[in-house]
Amino acid sequence: MRADRWAQGIFQAAFGLFIAVWTVFLAVIAVGAWHFVVINGWITPLLSTHWSPLAGHYGMLAFILGSITVTALALILAAPWVLALAVAGGRILRGTMQQTFIQLLTVFVAVPSVIYGWWGLTIIVPLVRRLSGTSGFGPLSAGVVLALMIVPTFSIMALHAVRQVPSALVEGSLALGATDDQTLWHMVLPSAWPALAQAFLVAVGRALGETIAVQMVIGGQSRLTSLLKPSATLTSQLLTDLALMPPKTPGHDALDFMAIWLVLLMAVLVGLQYRMRRGLRG
Amino acid sequence: MVEKRLTKREGVSTILDIRVQELEVWYGPAKALENVSLHLEQGAVLALIGPSGCGKSTFLRVLNRMIDQVPTVRVKGSVHIGAFNVLDDDIDVTALRRTVGMVFQQPNPFPMTIFDNVAYGPRLAGVRSATKLRQIVEDSLKKSALWDEVRGKLRRSAMTLSGGQQQRLCMARALAVHPHVLLLDEPTASLDPVSTAKIEELIVQFKGRYTMVIVTHNLQQAARVSDLVAFFEQGHLVEMGPTHDIFTAPQERRTEEFLTGRFE
Repeated sequence: MRADRWAQGIFQAAFGLFIAVWTVFLAVIAVGAWHFVVINGWITPLLSTHWSPLAGHYGMLAFILGSITVTALALILAAPWVLALAVAGGRILRGTMQQTFIQLLTVFVAVPSVIYGWWGLTIIVPLVRRLSGTSGFGPLSAGVVLALMIVPTFSIMALHAVRQVPSALVEGSLALGATDDQTLWHMVLPSAWPALAQAFLVAVGRALGETIAVQMVIGGQSRLTSLLKPSATLTSQLLTDLALMPPKTPGHDALDFMAIWLVLLMAVLVGLQYRMRRGLRG
Repeated sequence: MVEKRLTKREGVSTILDIRVQELEVWYGPAKALENVSLHLEQGAVLALIGPSGCGKSTFLRVLNRMIDQVPTVRVKGSVHIGAFNVLDDDIDVTALRRTVGMVFQQPNPFPMTIFDNVAYGPRLAGVRSATKLRQIVEDSLKKSALWDEVRGKLRRSAMTLSGGQQQRLCMARALAVHPHVLLLDEPTASLDPVSTAKIEELIVQFKGRYTMVIVTHNLQQAARVSDLVAFFEQGHLVEMGPTHDIFTAPQERRTEEFLTGRFE
């Protein structure tokens, strides 16, 4: 009985600690963000592109657009390939080949993002430079690097989405004289659709939140004029300016404000995923 | 074009008997069927009986090449259904499967509306006209005795139907592509007695119109619905004959032991 109570206590303490740590964590950035909002308002900073925090200008629009551009680019590049990989891994490869493929994907999921960034620096940036005649740093390079980075995660989830389509449905379709292609388009993909959409949302989160790999190839300028000119995203700018602005300065508060928006955005994405999962069961 | 082919095929229904010669099936190194030969006249109902794992489902799945879904499978021998040389590598499997329909052990309605379930096959076969589709759906649902229960609810999800209704929907879906042969893989194994009786009624009604092969573990069912019975054991076709003869005077000792429950 006594041992039981101890064990229960430890489990509850673990939960309590979790709540406490994350509350403190959120509170710290919320306080900074609040200071910022009191002076600059909620909306104005989101609509201006003028960012020079040391001079008191906190326009974040360029970073927001940068984040959206880079994420969209990565998803547009990755999605068709991922869908094809999921079909290959989930319906076409069999046995050892299938297992090897899944294991390979898992390995690539675990590769640290700095490696992807490094690889982008060595291959993508010089390639873009040669093709475009610019420096090679910018949203295009960042989008390509991000695309390659999210392919493994996105593919594994999409592959499982395709594999979990019951074979009873596949056989039912084939038994009616549907070809393999027809079965894929009319039965497998529609049935896998909710799970595929969920995988897509995870990929959006991954791309939107990625920092290091982006920072290494995007060029780090606080503007967005072209896919080929250096610019920045919310996360990459946070990383750059962190070193410049010590806590309790207005600039630091601006970064807290950015961080809060990122947390809220991720919360919305997770919320959407939950809704999808409920939809899957229903 | 395709519609025309469908109707043309309906006209040549005189030759859809099933002829199997020296059929052998392996799953990897394991032999699942050995030297099976049989002939089934068109329009007759053949019941396949035998203990679990005896090869009856394997036999059924050879007939519409559903066996191809097993990656390690090897099939030898010859199988002809009407003009189809079933085991020919170059055969149009799609056309074969439209001619040889299948209903599975677990009702497997597609996660779509009742209408779309039945229209699935015809649509993929190229039927575009909405009027024609509606007519096919209505006809098929009438044939499978489901129409009265679902008319006016065709836009509801097939998942809202009961198990027995779902199985009759699967029947309707198979009928919608105008097959001449129906393969029924333990179609009532997961159904209650009332739903089972309805499916059996359909099978009896379909006699003469469709050549049918039904796998069943229910010997009474075999006795009620079939014209012929084939007893399988460990991959061999032990005995095949008219249902009445098999149940009253089996020629083989193993068959008799199986039928009288003295089977180990």
